[in-house]
Amino acid sequence: MTENTHIYQAMFLLDNEEVRKGFNASRDWVKTTLEKYGIEVKVLRLWGERQLAYPIGRRKRATYLLGWLQASGDSINEVKRELYLLGPVFRCLFLLEDEIPADELATGIQVIADSEIIIPEDMEEPDFEEPYTEPEEEQRATDDKPDAEEDEEGKEGKAGGKAGGKAGGKAKPVVSVAKTKVPKAAAADSSTADEVNTDGN
Amino acid sequence: MATKNSRTFDFKDVESLEVFMTSHGKIHPAKRTGLRAREQRRLKRAIKYARFLSLIPFVS
Repeated sequence: MTENTHIYQAMFLLDNEEVRKGFNASRDWVKTTLEKYGIEVKVLRLWGERQLAYPIGRRKRATYLLGWLQASGDSINEVKRELYLLGPVFRCLFLLEDEIPADELATGIQVIADSEIIIPEDMEEPDFEEPYTEPEEEQRATDDKPDAEEDEEGKEGKAGGKAGGKAGGKAKPVVSVAKTKVPKAAAADSSTADEVNTDGN
Repeated sequence: MATKNSRTFDFKDVESLEVFMTSHGKIHPAKRTGLRAREQRRLKRAIKYARFLSLIPFVS
């Protein structure tokens, strides 16, 4: 390659599921991919395994791989395309630098035994909370109506005061609440609304 | 190239970057950080690199 080459610092985010199969295999895949495009890998080492600040896809944790490379600008653009398409890398960053620090250069290509890397499992959290049910409304439906009418009664009760007026005799509590202008907090609780209405009459 | 007295920022050094950010993740203005224009630009770049790599959140 006759083009001018520059020093780059690179950071790769590796999928933990791939790293669990073997860190060295993932690191070697990155190295061979870079070298395929004429990039000279000076340093490639494990930077850390940590929780992501925000989830990327379904991933909440990732393994960070730090590299120092000597490459041309064109080869960086080409290798990025392949890194994102295949393999364990799901995000990478290349930065142009002036020189490689001496302490980094001493590290070289880091080899770590797979048993030394302990990757914790992602903590599974429930995606949705359980839907809220109004216990008193259910109780009233079971007390007053037979089983076939329970569902209809519940639906009309949830529709609120506006729809309740046209619904007929089934929505009596809602209509009575609208006439007496009970506050919203009290109207939500249908049992208390009935009490207010009876007191008023 | 950083001069002798100018300050540089590393995107990997999350703790030092968070000093220049609000609790919500916004970057403090130069008036508050007290940095020179060039240093403030370096800080901005480092924070944006760190955000891209999910080291610090865009907003919290």
